[in-house]
Amino acid sequence: MNVELPLIAFVLASALATAVLRDVLGAIIAFATYSLGIAVVWVVLQAPDVALTEAAVGAGVTTVLFLLTIAKTVRPSGDRVLERPHWPALAVAVLFVGVLATTLGALPEIGAADTTVITSEVTEYYLANAYEEAGVKNAVTAVLAAYRGFDTLGEVVVVYSAGVGLLVVLGKEVFA
Amino acid sequence: MSESASEADPEAAETADDLRSYVESPIIMATVRVVSPFVFTYGLYLMFHGANSSGGGFQGGVVVATVMLMLGIAFGIDPLREWVGESTLVLVVVAGVFAFLAIGVVTTLPPFGGGFLDYSALGFPGASKYGIEAVELFIGVVVASTITGLFFAIDAGKEGGDNE
Amino acid sequence: MIDLLATRDYYLASFLLLGVGTYVMIAARNFVKKVIGMNIFQTGIFLFFIAAAYLEGANPPVLTMDGPHVSPLPHVLILTAIVVGVALTAVALGMIVRIYAEYGTLTEDTLEEVRNGE
Repeated sequence: MNVELPLIAFVLASALATAVLRDVLGAIIAFATYSLGIAVVWVVLQAPDVALTEAAVGAGVTTVLFLLTIAKTVRPSGDRVLERPHWPALAVAVLFVGVLATTLGALPEIGAADTTVITSEVTEYYLANAYEEAGVKNAVTAVLAAYRGFDTLGEVVVVYSAGVGLLVVLGKEVFA
Repeated sequence: MSESASEADPEAAETADDLRSYVESPIIMATVRVVSPFVFTYGLYLMFHGANSSGGGFQGGVVVATVMLMLGIAFGIDPLREWVGESTLVLVVVAGVFAFLAIGVVTTLPPFGGGFLDYSALGFPGASKYGIEAVELFIGVVVASTITGLFFAIDAGKEGGDNE
Repeated sequence: MIDLLATRDYYLASFLLLGVGTYVMIAARNFVKKVIGMNIFQTGIFLFFIAAAYLEGANPPVLTMDGPHVSPLPHVLILTAIVVGVALTAVALGMIVRIYAEYGTLTEDTLEEVRNGE
């Protein structure tokens, strides 16, 4: 069964709902729905590792952090449900999408066997040698922790710096 | 602008008092009590079993962090923060980063003489697999404790601010 | 034209998500909504990467499954980018909490008025 188009429609619809809802709480809930839809897209595109992270991060952690922020600050309320359209921003966004869409013809077909990513030497090397060289069956883990281990160390330091940065912004010495 | 007016007006805007971050609810408390050990175990499973199936340090760490978020929402963030201990959390984050760095540096030392994070230089059978799993575990520790810390920090707000 | 769109549907969806993200970041007056817009923009880019790694009829890049496999490299890049994204969001939200503590508003226009009035 073809789930692609309904799924894409669902994701785009929840993204649009996030954009037009005036109530910030409503937008946050629409964003959680959107994240869940995107996590299903990752599963359909055969990326279970990314789907696990997205489901936990997008629908879980990010939503809780957003809710906590509006609980700590303020939630504007009004009579209107929808935001009034902001025409200059709409023009910029339409122009941006239009420019990007002109590249559509030059992009390879999705799922074709002869795309640059699939036929690239790196992909073939990782899939052929991950088990012998790194000793793990999950190629994503092998690339993450062995082939690109230094990059991952950098990512961990970025997460660590985010913690430090938040403490600096909030003017504290410990998370409290 | 009507939007800014409505937001500046204290009558029209819901303030922080109407939107407290903690509401005691027996349903949420009972559910979290039942669900959290399983979610925690699942997070650890993702970290340790990431070598041979989907999962890994980042995924497992985030799932473990959601246990802390659930506990905070169910039982109140302040008691949880006191239970965890503020400096403990900072120490765990720093220890995780340095443990990762230590594994990378150990493989370059004279008896092994490999490259940075070159696990197979350690020499025992399956060194690469165990090295990768150790690194995944430390990634999980850093991610889980940092996200928990970010959660606590946003809840506590600015030091000396009027919102606690 | 229809064929072009049908075979590149995820790329088109990715571009539209980038557009929605841009719109929200510019149009939203509330800072929390701007951060939500930034998150949508991010996921648009993630969709582009993961769609590029996809191979029709292939299995996930776990070698216990039979080949062919989809490319693992974009998955790794996006995996780390998602976690870095949540850290980025948290710092942005921390700044929002700080702005509210200092100026008592989360609206762009009001913040500008308050700052000009000082």
